[in-house]
Amino acid sequence: MLEFLSYGFVQRGLVAGTFVAVACALLGVFLVLKRLSLIGDGMSHVCLTGVAVALLTSTSPVYMSVPIVMAASAGILKITSTFKIYGDAAIGIVSAAGLSVGLLITALAGGFNTDLLSFLFGSILTVSWSEAALCGLLLVVILILLRAFYRDLTSACFDEPFAKTRGVAVQAVHTVLVLITSVAIVLAFKVVGIFLISALLIIPPVAALLVSRTFKQVLWKSVAFSVLSVWLGVFISFVYDIPSGAAIILMNLFFLACSFVWMKLGNNHDR
Amino acid sequence: MSSVIKAVGLRFAYRRVPVLEDVSFDVQRGDYVGIIGPNGGGKTTLLKLILGLEKGEGKISLFNTPLAQFSDWHKIGYLAQKSPVSQSRFPISAQEIVLMGLPQRLGSGVSVGELKQVHAAMQKTHTREYAGKIFHDLSIGQQQRVLLARALVSHPEILILDEPSTALDAQSRGMFFDLLGELNQKHGVTILLITHDTGEVGKHISKFMYVDKTVVFFGTKEEFCHSEAVAKQLGPFAQHTIDHLHNHHGHCPLGEDCEECHHAGGNHA
Repeated sequence: MLEFLSYGFVQRGLVAGTFVAVACALLGVFLVLKRLSLIGDGMSHVCLTGVAVALLTSTSPVYMSVPIVMAASAGILKITSTFKIYGDAAIGIVSAAGLSVGLLITALAGGFNTDLLSFLFGSILTVSWSEAALCGLLLVVILILLRAFYRDLTSACFDEPFAKTRGVAVQAVHTVLVLITSVAIVLAFKVVGIFLISALLIIPPVAALLVSRTFKQVLWKSVAFSVLSVWLGVFISFVYDIPSGAAIILMNLFFLACSFVWMKLGNNHDR
Repeated sequence: MSSVIKAVGLRFAYRRVPVLEDVSFDVQRGDYVGIIGPNGGGKTTLLKLILGLEKGEGKISLFNTPLAQFSDWHKIGYLAQKSPVSQSRFPISAQEIVLMGLPQRLGSGVSVGELKQVHAAMQKTHTREYAGKIFHDLSIGQQQRVLLARALVSHPEILILDEPSTALDAQSRGMFFDLLGELNQKHGVTILLITHDTGEVGKHISKFMYVDKTVVFFGTKEEFCHSEAVAKQLGPFAQHTIDHLHNHHGHCPLGEDCEECHHAGGNHA
Protein backbone atom coordinates (compact mmCIF):
# COMPACT_ATOMS: atom_id res chain seq x y z
CA MET A 1 0.00 0.00 0.00
CA LEU A 2 2.96 2.26 0.67
CA GLU A 3 4.50 1.54 -2.74
CA PHE A 4 3.39 4.98 -3.89
CA LEU A 5 6.28 6.31 -1.78
CA SER A 6 8.71 4.87 -4.33
CA TYR A 7 7.60 7.37 -6.96
CA GLY A 8 9.96 10.33 -7.30
CA PHE A 9 7.18 12.88 -7.69
CA VAL A 10 5.56 11.65 -4.47
CA GLN A 11 8.87 11.87 -2.62
CA ARG A 12 9.43 15.44 -3.87
CA GLY A 13 5.90 16.39 -2.92
CA LEU A 14 6.18 14.92 0.56
CA VAL A 15 9.55 16.53 1.24
CA ALA A 16 8.41 19.96 0.03
CA GLY A 17 5.04 19.54 1.75
CA THR A 18 6.70 18.69 5.06
CA PHE A 19 9.02 21.70 4.88
CA VAL A 20 6.12 24.01 4.02
CA ALA A 21 3.92 22.47 6.71
CA VAL A 22 6.53 23.08 9.43
CA ALA A 23 7.26 26.62 8.19
CA CYS A 24 3.58 27.60 8.02
CA ALA A 25 2.79 25.97 11.37
CA LEU A 26 5.53 27.96 13.14
CA LEU A 27 4.84 31.27 11.40
CA GLY A 28 1.10 30.77 11.87
CA VAL A 29 1.41 30.67 15.67
CA PHE A 30 2.88 34.20 15.70
CA LEU A 31 0.46 35.48 13.04
CA VAL A 32 -2.60 34.12 14.87
CA LEU A 33 -1.47 35.56 18.21
CA LYS A 34 -0.70 38.93 16.60
CA ARG A 35 -4.12 38.81 14.87
CA LEU A 36 -2.50 38.87 11.46
CA SER A 37 -3.72 35.45 10.38
CA LEU A 38 -5.71 36.82 7.44
CA ILE A 39 -2.50 38.04 5.84
CA GLY A 40 -2.23 34.54 4.35
CA ASP A 41 -5.57 34.96 2.65
CA GLY A 42 -4.67 38.39 1.32
CA MET A 43 -1.23 37.39 0.10
CA SER A 44 -2.56 34.26 -1.60
CA HIS A 45 -4.74 36.50 -3.76
CA VAL A 46 -1.66 38.50 -4.68
CA CYS A 47 -0.05 35.19 -5.71
CA LEU A 48 -2.57 35.15 -8.54
CA THR A 49 -0.88 38.24 -9.99
CA GLY A 50 2.52 36.50 -9.78
CA VAL A 51 1.20 33.34 -11.41
CA ALA A 52 -0.58 35.32 -14.14
CA VAL A 53 2.58 37.34 -14.91
CA ALA A 54 4.63 34.11 -14.98
CA LEU A 55 2.20 32.39 -17.35
CA LEU A 56 2.17 35.46 -19.58
CA THR A 57 5.96 35.68 -19.70
CA SER A 58 6.59 31.90 -19.58
CA THR A 59 8.70 32.17 -16.43
CA SER A 60 8.60 30.25 -13.13
CA PRO A 61 5.43 31.11 -11.16
CA VAL A 62 7.23 30.56 -7.85
CA TYR A 63 10.22 32.80 -8.61
CA MET A 64 7.96 35.44 -10.23
CA SER A 65 5.55 35.48 -7.28
CA VAL A 66 8.14 35.84 -4.49
CA PRO A 67 9.08 39.51 -5.19
CA ILE A 68 5.48 40.46 -6.05
CA VAL A 69 4.05 39.01 -2.83
CA MET A 70 6.89 40.45 -0.74
CA ALA A 71 6.23 43.89 -2.26
CA ALA A 72 2.53 43.51 -1.47
CA SER A 73 3.37 42.58 2.15
CA ALA A 74 5.57 45.65 2.42
CA GLY A 75 2.62 47.60 0.98
CA ILE A 76 0.33 46.33 3.74
CA LEU A 77 2.82 47.41 6.41
CA LYS A 78 3.27 50.81 4.75
CA ILE A 79 -0.48 51.43 4.43
CA THR A 80 -1.01 50.42 8.06
CA SER A 81 1.71 52.70 9.42
CA THR A 82 1.31 55.68 7.04
CA PHE A 83 -2.46 56.00 7.00
CA LYS A 84 -3.02 54.60 10.52
CA ILE A 85 -5.71 52.21 9.33
CA TYR A 86 -6.35 48.74 10.75
CA GLY A 87 -4.20 45.87 9.49
CA ASP A 88 -7.18 43.80 8.31
CA ALA A 89 -8.44 46.71 6.18
CA ALA A 90 -4.96 47.11 4.64
CA ILE A 91 -4.89 43.36 3.89
CA GLY A 92 -8.32 43.67 2.24
CA ILE A 93 -7.15 46.57 0.04
CA VAL A 94 -3.93 44.88 -1.13
CA SER A 95 -5.70 41.54 -1.56
CA ALA A 96 -8.38 43.08 -3.80
CA ALA A 97 -5.72 44.89 -5.81
CA GLY A 98 -3.74 41.64 -6.25
CA LEU A 99 -6.78 39.65 -7.34
CA SER A 100 -7.93 42.36 -9.77
CA VAL A 101 -4.53 42.73 -11.43
CA GLY A 102 -4.16 38.95 -11.62
CA LEU A 103 -7.55 38.53 -13.30
CA LEU A 104 -6.83 41.43 -15.66
CA ILE A 105 -3.53 39.91 -16.79
CA THR A 106 -5.16 36.49 -17.16
CA ALA A 107 -7.88 38.01 -19.35
CA LEU A 108 -5.28 39.84 -21.46
CA ALA A 109 -3.39 36.55 -21.86
CA GLY A 110 -6.48 34.89 -23.31
CA GLY A 111 -8.34 33.53 -20.35
CA PHE A 112 -7.90 30.72 -17.85
CA ASN A 113 -6.04 27.57 -18.74
CA THR A 114 -5.25 24.31 -16.93
CA ASP A 115 -1.92 25.63 -15.59
CA LEU A 116 -3.64 28.40 -13.71
CA LEU A 117 -6.25 26.01 -12.31
CA SER A 118 -3.52 23.76 -10.93
CA PHE A 119 -2.16 26.76 -8.99
CA LEU A 120 -5.60 27.68 -7.71
CA PHE A 121 -6.28 24.21 -6.32
CA GLY A 122 -2.74 22.98 -5.65
CA SER A 123 -0.67 20.22 -7.22
CA ILE A 124 1.82 18.99 -4.66
CA LEU A 125 2.89 16.15 -6.92
CA THR A 126 4.29 18.55 -9.53
CA VAL A 127 6.86 20.09 -7.17
CA SER A 128 10.44 20.04 -8.50
CA TRP A 129 13.53 19.21 -6.42
CA SER A 130 14.73 22.83 -6.72
CA GLU A 131 11.40 24.04 -5.30
CA ALA A 132 11.65 21.46 -2.51
CA ALA A 133 15.18 22.73 -1.75
CA LEU A 134 13.85 26.29 -1.63
CA CYS A 135 11.21 25.17 0.89
CA GLY A 136 13.99 23.58 2.96
CA LEU A 137 16.05 26.77 2.84
CA LEU A 138 13.10 28.82 4.03
CA LEU A 139 12.53 26.42 6.92
CA VAL A 140 16.18 26.63 7.96
CA VAL A 141 15.98 30.45 8.00
CA ILE A 142 12.81 30.33 10.11
CA LEU A 143 14.31 27.85 12.59
CA ILE A 144 17.50 29.91 12.97
CA LEU A 145 15.53 33.13 13.60
CA LEU A 146 13.18 31.40 16.02
CA ARG A 147 16.06 29.86 17.96
CA ALA A 148 18.09 33.08 18.09
CA PHE A 149 15.30 35.53 18.91
CA TYR A 150 12.81 33.33 20.75
CA ARG A 151 12.44 35.62 23.77
CA ASP A 152 12.13 38.80 21.68
CA LEU A 153 9.58 37.15 19.39
CA THR A 154 7.38 35.91 22.22
CA SER A 155 7.70 39.22 24.03
CA ALA A 156 6.74 41.19 20.90
CA CYS A 157 3.71 38.93 20.38
CA PHE A 158 2.58 38.94 24.00
CA ASP A 159 2.99 42.61 24.88
CA GLU A 160 4.25 44.92 22.15
CA PRO A 161 4.59 48.14 24.22
CA PHE A 162 6.55 46.35 26.94
CA ALA A 163 8.79 44.69 24.34
CA LYS A 164 9.58 48.16 22.96
CA THR A 165 10.59 49.34 26.42
CA ARG A 166 13.03 46.37 26.57
CA GLY A 167 14.68 47.69 23.40
CA VAL A 168 13.14 44.98 21.18
CA ALA A 169 12.94 46.26 17.60
CA VAL A 170 9.25 45.39 17.40
CA GLN A 171 8.72 46.98 13.99
CA ALA A 172 11.65 45.02 12.55
CA VAL A 173 10.31 41.80 14.09
CA HIS A 174 6.93 42.55 12.52
CA THR A 175 8.43 43.31 9.10
CA VAL A 176 10.61 40.18 9.06
CA LEU A 177 7.66 38.03 10.17
CA VAL A 178 5.43 39.36 7.39
CA LEU A 179 8.12 39.14 4.68
CA ILE A 180 9.07 35.56 5.59
CA THR A 181 5.38 34.69 5.64
CA SER A 182 5.01 36.04 2.12
CA VAL A 183 7.79 33.71 0.88
CA ALA A 184 6.17 30.78 2.73
CA ILE A 185 2.84 31.59 1.08
CA VAL A 186 4.36 31.51 -2.40
CA LEU A 187 6.04 28.17 -1.69
CA ALA A 188 2.80 26.83 -0.20
CA PHE A 189 0.61 27.49 -3.23
CA LYS A 190 2.03 24.45 -5.02
CA VAL A 191 1.15 22.32 -2.00
CA VAL A 192 -2.44 23.32 -1.25
CA GLY A 193 -3.31 25.87 -3.93
CA ILE A 194 -3.88 29.61 -3.77
CA PHE A 195 -7.40 29.23 -2.35
CA LEU A 196 -6.32 27.16 0.65
CA ILE A 197 -2.94 28.62 1.66
CA SER A 198 -4.30 30.64 4.56
CA ALA A 199 -5.69 27.44 6.11
CA LEU A 200 -2.14 26.09 6.51
CA LEU A 201 -1.23 29.21 8.47
CA ILE A 202 -4.36 29.34 10.63
CA ILE A 203 -5.78 25.87 11.36
CA PRO A 204 -2.75 24.05 12.89
CA PRO A 205 -1.89 26.93 15.30
CA VAL A 206 -5.53 27.33 16.35
CA ALA A 207 -5.85 23.57 16.98
CA ALA A 208 -2.60 23.66 18.99
CA LEU A 209 -3.74 26.68 21.02
CA LEU A 210 -6.82 24.73 22.11
CA VAL A 211 -4.82 21.88 23.64
CA SER A 212 -1.60 23.52 24.91
CA ARG A 213 -0.53 24.90 28.25
CA THR A 214 2.79 26.48 27.33
CA PHE A 215 4.08 28.44 24.38
CA LYS A 216 6.57 25.75 23.41
CA GLN A 217 3.77 23.18 23.39
CA VAL A 218 1.82 25.36 20.98
CA LEU A 219 4.77 25.45 18.60
CA TRP A 220 5.45 21.72 18.48
CA LYS A 221 1.78 20.67 18.47
CA SER A 222 1.10 23.10 15.62
CA VAL A 223 3.98 21.52 13.69
CA ALA A 224 2.75 17.99 14.48
CA PHE A 225 -0.83 18.69 13.29
CA SER A 226 0.41 20.40 10.15
CA VAL A 227 2.92 17.71 9.12
CA LEU A 228 0.51 14.84 9.84
CA SER A 229 -2.14 16.63 7.77
CA VAL A 230 0.20 16.86 4.78
CA TRP A 231 1.30 13.22 5.01
CA LEU A 232 -2.22 11.83 5.49
CA GLY A 233 -3.61 14.29 2.91
CA VAL A 234 -1.13 13.21 0.24
CA PHE A 235 -1.80 9.54 1.01
CA ILE A 236 -5.58 9.95 0.79
CA SER A 237 -5.23 12.07 -2.34
CA PHE A 238 -3.12 9.36 -4.03
CA VAL A 239 -5.31 6.45 -2.98
CA TYR A 240 -8.68 8.03 -3.75
CA ASP A 241 -7.51 10.29 -6.60
CA ILE A 242 -8.81 13.50 -5.07
CA PRO A 243 -7.16 16.98 -5.09
CA SER A 244 -4.21 16.97 -2.65
CA GLY A 245 -4.82 20.54 -1.40
CA ALA A 246 -8.38 19.76 -0.37
CA ALA A 247 -7.34 16.47 1.29
CA ILE A 248 -4.60 18.23 3.31
CA ILE A 249 -6.90 20.97 4.55
CA LEU A 250 -9.64 18.47 5.43
CA MET A 251 -7.10 16.59 7.54
CA ASN A 252 -6.20 19.87 9.25
CA LEU A 253 -9.88 20.43 9.99
CA PHE A 254 -10.09 16.89 11.38
CA PHE A 255 -7.28 17.68 13.86
CA LEU A 256 -8.96 20.97 14.75
CA ALA A 257 -12.20 19.10 15.49
CA CYS A 258 -10.29 16.58 17.63
CA SER A 259 -8.62 19.42 19.57
CA PHE A 260 -11.98 21.07 20.12
CA VAL A 261 -13.50 17.83 21.45
CA TRP A 262 -10.43 17.28 23.67
CA MET A 263 -10.82 20.78 25.08
CA LYS A 264 -14.56 20.36 25.62
CA LEU A 265 -13.98 17.10 27.47
CA GLY A 266 -12.42 19.18 30.21
CA ASN A 267 -8.78 19.14 29.26
CA ASN A 268 -8.66 22.87 28.51
CA HIS A 269 -7.14 25.53 30.72
CA ASP A 270 -10.04 27.96 30.90
CA ARG A 271 -11.09 29.25 34.28
CA MET B 1 21.32 64.00 43.27
CA SER B 2 21.54 63.65 39.51
CA SER B 3 19.05 63.97 36.74
CA VAL B 4 17.59 60.66 35.48
CA ILE B 5 14.68 61.90 33.37
CA LYS B 6 14.76 65.32 31.78
CA ALA B 7 12.10 66.71 29.46
CA VAL B 8 12.32 70.06 27.68
CA GLY B 9 9.51 71.62 25.63
CA LEU B 10 7.55 68.41 25.00
CA ARG B 11 4.56 68.68 22.74
CA PHE B 12 2.27 65.94 21.50
CA ALA B 13 -0.89 66.12 19.40
CA TYR B 14 -3.24 63.35 18.32
CA ARG B 15 -4.81 64.06 14.92
CA ARG B 16 -3.90 67.74 15.36
CA VAL B 17 -5.66 67.93 18.74
CA PRO B 18 -3.05 68.96 21.33
CA VAL B 19 -2.71 66.45 24.16
CA LEU B 20 0.39 67.91 25.81
CA GLU B 21 2.03 71.29 25.31
CA ASP B 22 5.20 72.90 26.59
CA VAL B 23 6.04 70.16 29.10
CA SER B 24 9.38 70.51 30.89
CA PHE B 25 10.61 68.83 34.08
CA ASP B 26 13.66 67.24 35.62
CA VAL B 27 13.30 64.08 37.74
CA GLN B 28 16.24 63.43 40.07
CA ARG B 29 17.65 60.05 41.12
CA GLY B 30 15.69 58.72 44.10
CA ASP B 31 12.55 60.80 43.48
CA TYR B 32 9.19 59.12 44.03
CA VAL B 33 6.83 61.13 41.87
CA GLY B 34 3.07 60.76 42.10
CA ILE B 35 1.56 61.91 38.80
CA ILE B 36 -1.99 63.13 39.22
CA GLY B 37 -4.45 65.05 37.10
CA PRO B 38 -7.84 64.73 35.41
CA ASN B 39 -8.77 61.94 32.98
CA GLY B 40 -7.65 62.87 29.48
CA GLY B 41 -5.09 65.29 30.89
CA GLY B 42 -2.20 63.54 29.13
CA LYS B 43 -0.63 61.57 32.02
CA THR B 44 -0.39 58.25 30.17
CA THR B 45 0.78 60.01 27.00
CA LEU B 46 3.54 61.67 29.02
CA LEU B 47 4.79 58.28 30.27
CA LYS B 48 4.62 56.87 26.73
CA LEU B 49 6.70 59.80 25.45
CA ILE B 50 9.32 59.12 28.14
CA LEU B 51 9.42 55.44 27.14
CA GLY B 52 9.59 56.19 23.42
CA LEU B 53 6.23 54.49 22.80
CA GLU B 54 4.88 57.74 21.31
CA LYS B 55 6.82 60.30 19.34
CA GLY B 56 6.29 63.98 20.00
CA GLU B 57 8.21 67.23 19.70
CA GLY B 58 10.78 68.42 22.23
CA LYS B 59 13.69 66.76 24.00
CA ILE B 60 13.78 63.85 26.44
CA SER B 61 16.90 62.43 27.99
CA LEU B 62 17.24 59.36 30.21
CA PHE B 63 20.33 59.19 32.44
CA ASN B 64 21.62 62.24 30.49
CA THR B 65 21.40 60.35 27.19
CA PRO B 66 19.02 61.61 24.49
CA LEU B 67 16.08 59.19 24.12
CA ALA B 68 16.99 58.34 20.50
CA GLN B 69 20.43 57.12 21.59
CA PHE B 70 19.34 55.47 24.84
CA SER B 71 19.87 51.70 24.89
CA ASP B 72 20.13 50.70 28.58
CA TRP B 73 16.47 49.70 28.71
CA HIS B 74 17.12 47.15 31.46
CA LYS B 75 17.55 50.17 33.77
CA ILE B 76 13.86 50.98 33.31
CA GLY B 77 10.91 48.90 34.50
CA TYR B 78 7.47 49.59 33.07
CA LEU B 79 4.02 48.48 34.14
CA ALA B 80 1.13 49.56 31.95
CA GLN B 81 -2.42 50.36 32.92
CA LYS B 82 -3.98 47.33 31.26
CA SER B 83 -3.01 43.69 31.29
CA PRO B 84 -1.83 42.85 27.76
CA VAL B 85 -3.69 39.58 27.23
CA SER B 86 -6.79 39.83 29.35
CA GLN B 87 -8.98 38.87 26.40
CA SER B 88 -6.80 36.44 24.52
CA ARG B 89 -5.78 32.81 24.89
CA PHE B 90 -2.01 33.15 25.06
CA PRO B 91 -0.65 29.96 26.62
CA ILE B 92 2.30 31.25 28.56
CA SER B 93 3.25 30.70 32.20
CA ALA B 94 3.68 33.46 34.77
CA GLN B 95 7.36 32.56 35.00
CA GLU B 96 7.83 32.95 31.24
CA ILE B 97 6.20 36.38 31.46
CA VAL B 98 8.63 37.53 34.16
CA LEU B 99 11.52 36.16 32.11
CA MET B 100 10.57 38.60 29.33
CA GLY B 101 11.77 41.41 31.57
CA LEU B 102 15.36 40.22 31.16
CA PRO B 103 17.41 41.15 28.08
CA GLN B 104 17.41 38.79 25.08
CA ARG B 105 20.17 36.20 25.01
CA LEU B 106 20.67 34.07 21.95
CA GLY B 107 18.68 30.87 22.09
CA SER B 108 15.51 29.81 23.80
CA GLY B 109 17.15 28.42 26.95
CA VAL B 110 17.20 29.97 30.41
CA SER B 111 20.32 30.16 32.56
CA VAL B 112 20.35 29.28 36.27
CA GLY B 113 21.23 32.91 37.07
CA GLU B 114 18.24 34.16 35.10
CA LEU B 115 15.94 31.70 36.83
CA LYS B 116 17.18 32.90 40.23
CA GLN B 117 16.50 36.52 39.24
CA VAL B 118 12.98 35.57 38.09
CA HIS B 119 12.20 33.72 41.32
CA ALA B 120 13.55 36.60 43.44
CA ALA B 121 11.34 39.11 41.59
CA MET B 122 8.31 36.82 41.99
CA GLN B 123 9.09 36.42 45.68
CA LYS B 124 9.04 40.20 46.11
CA THR B 125 5.59 40.52 44.51
CA HIS B 126 4.23 37.40 46.27
CA THR B 127 3.66 35.57 42.99
CA ARG B 128 6.20 32.75 43.39
CA GLU B 129 3.36 30.26 43.95
CA TYR B 130 1.89 31.09 40.51
CA ALA B 131 5.17 30.59 38.63
CA GLY B 132 4.01 27.53 36.70
CA LYS B 133 0.43 28.67 36.15
CA ILE B 134 -0.89 29.93 32.84
CA PHE B 135 -1.00 33.74 32.98
CA HIS B 136 -4.45 33.77 31.38
CA ASP B 137 -5.82 31.62 34.25
CA LEU B 138 -4.80 34.11 36.97
CA SER B 139 -7.12 36.79 38.34
CA ILE B 140 -6.56 40.36 37.11
CA GLY B 141 -4.96 41.31 40.44
CA GLN B 142 -2.60 38.31 40.32
CA GLN B 143 -1.74 39.12 36.69
CA GLN B 144 -0.89 42.69 37.71
CA ARG B 145 1.51 41.44 40.40
CA VAL B 146 3.18 39.08 37.92
CA LEU B 147 3.63 42.03 35.55
CA LEU B 148 5.16 44.04 38.41
CA ALA B 149 7.64 41.17 38.91
CA ARG B 150 8.46 41.42 35.19
CA ALA B 151 9.10 45.15 35.62
CA LEU B 152 11.38 44.49 38.62
CA VAL B 153 13.32 41.47 37.38
CA SER B 154 16.10 43.44 35.66
CA HIS B 155 16.75 45.47 38.87
CA PRO B 156 15.66 48.75 37.23
CA GLU B 157 16.89 52.12 38.42
CA ILE B 158 13.66 53.76 37.28
CA LEU B 159 10.17 52.30 37.64
CA ILE B 160 7.40 53.79 35.49
CA LEU B 161 3.92 52.70 36.54
CA ASP B 162 0.59 53.66 34.99
CA GLU B 163 -2.27 53.25 37.47
CA PRO B 164 -1.00 49.84 38.60
CA SER B 165 -3.32 49.46 41.58
CA THR B 166 -6.68 49.72 39.79
CA ALA B 167 -7.31 45.95 39.78
CA LEU B 168 -5.91 45.22 43.23
CA ASP B 169 -7.94 44.56 46.38
CA ALA B 170 -7.33 46.66 49.49
CA GLN B 171 -4.80 44.23 51.06
CA SER B 172 -2.84 43.72 47.84
CA ARG B 173 -2.83 47.49 47.25
CA GLY B 174 -1.29 48.14 50.67
CA MET B 175 1.40 45.50 50.05
CA PHE B 176 1.98 46.84 46.56
CA PHE B 177 2.61 50.42 47.68
CA ASP B 178 4.70 49.29 50.66
CA LEU B 179 6.91 47.35 48.22
CA LEU B 180 7.29 50.42 46.00
CA GLY B 181 8.13 52.52 49.07
CA GLU B 182 10.79 50.01 50.11
CA LEU B 183 12.31 49.93 46.62
CA ASN B 184 12.49 53.71 46.65
CA GLN B 185 13.79 54.21 50.17
CA LYS B 186 16.10 51.20 50.60
CA HIS B 187 17.30 50.67 47.05
CA GLY B 188 17.10 54.23 45.71
CA VAL B 189 14.83 53.28 42.79
CA THR B 190 13.34 56.35 41.12
CA ILE B 191 9.59 55.92 40.67
CA LEU B 192 7.09 57.68 38.42
CA LEU B 193 3.59 56.61 39.26
CA ILE B 194 0.28 57.67 37.76
CA THR B 195 -2.40 57.15 40.35
CA HIS B 196 -5.83 58.21 41.50
CA ASP B 197 -5.16 56.28 44.70
CA THR B 198 -3.76 59.33 46.45
CA GLY B 199 -4.49 58.06 49.96
CA GLU B 200 -2.40 54.86 50.00
CA VAL B 201 0.45 55.97 47.77
CA GLY B 202 0.91 59.26 49.58
CA LYS B 203 2.67 57.61 52.52
CA HIS B 204 5.76 57.18 50.40
CA ILE B 205 5.89 59.70 47.55
CA SER B 206 8.28 62.62 47.72
CA LYS B 207 6.95 64.78 44.87
CA PHE B 208 3.76 65.55 43.00
CA MET B 209 3.37 66.21 39.31
CA TYR B 210 0.00 67.62 38.31
CA VAL B 211 -0.62 67.11 34.60
CA ASP B 212 -3.47 68.69 32.70
CA LYS B 213 -2.39 69.26 29.07
CA THR B 214 0.85 70.57 30.54
CA VAL B 215 2.74 70.20 33.81
CA VAL B 216 0.69 72.51 36.02
CA PHE B 217 2.80 71.70 39.06
CA PHE B 218 5.94 69.70 39.85
CA GLY B 219 7.48 69.85 43.30
CA THR B 220 7.50 68.51 46.84
CA LYS B 221 4.38 67.79 48.90
CA GLU B 222 4.96 70.96 50.90
CA GLU B 223 5.24 73.05 47.73
CA PHE B 224 2.06 71.40 46.45
CA CYS B 225 0.23 72.75 49.49
CA HIS B 226 1.32 76.31 48.64
CA SER B 227 0.98 76.17 44.87
CA GLU B 228 -1.37 78.78 43.44
CA ALA B 229 -1.45 76.90 40.16
CA VAL B 230 -2.77 73.79 41.91
CA ALA B 231 -5.25 75.84 43.92
CA LYS B 232 -6.60 77.26 40.64
CA GLN B 233 -7.07 73.75 39.23
CA LEU B 234 -8.38 71.96 42.32
CA GLY B 235 -9.55 74.66 44.69
CA PRO B 236 -7.83 75.08 48.08
CA PHE B 237 -9.94 72.45 49.85
CA ALA B 238 -9.12 69.58 47.46
CA GLN B 239 -5.52 70.77 47.30
CA HIS B 240 -5.17 70.45 51.05
CA THR B 241 -7.20 67.26 51.31
CA ILE B 242 -4.87 65.48 48.88
CA ASP B 243 -1.84 66.76 50.68
CA HIS B 244 -3.09 65.90 54.16
CA LEU B 245 -3.93 62.36 53.04
CA HIS B 246 -0.30 62.00 52.25
CA ASN B 247 0.70 62.80 55.78
CA HIS B 248 0.83 59.77 58.09
CA HIS B 249 -1.33 61.43 60.72
CA GLY B 250 -3.67 63.32 58.46
CA HIS B 251 -2.22 66.69 59.42
CA CYS B 252 -0.75 69.34 57.19
CA PRO B 253 3.03 68.96 57.25
CA LEU B 254 3.31 72.73 57.67
CA GLY B 255 1.29 72.63 60.90
CA GLU B 256 0.25 75.96 62.45
CA ASP B 257 2.20 77.96 59.86
CA CYS B 258 0.03 76.86 56.95
CA GLU B 259 -2.12 79.86 55.98
CA GLU B 260 -4.10 77.82 53.48
CA CYS B 261 -5.16 75.49 56.31
CA HIS B 262 -6.49 78.41 58.29
CA HIS B 263 -8.42 79.72 55.27
CA ALA B 264 -9.78 76.28 54.46
CA GLY B 265 -10.89 75.60 58.01
CA GLY B 266 -8.07 73.60 59.62
CA ASN B 267 -7.38 69.92 59.27
CA HIS B 268 -9.34 68.41 56.36
CA ALA B 269 -7.79 64.97 56.30
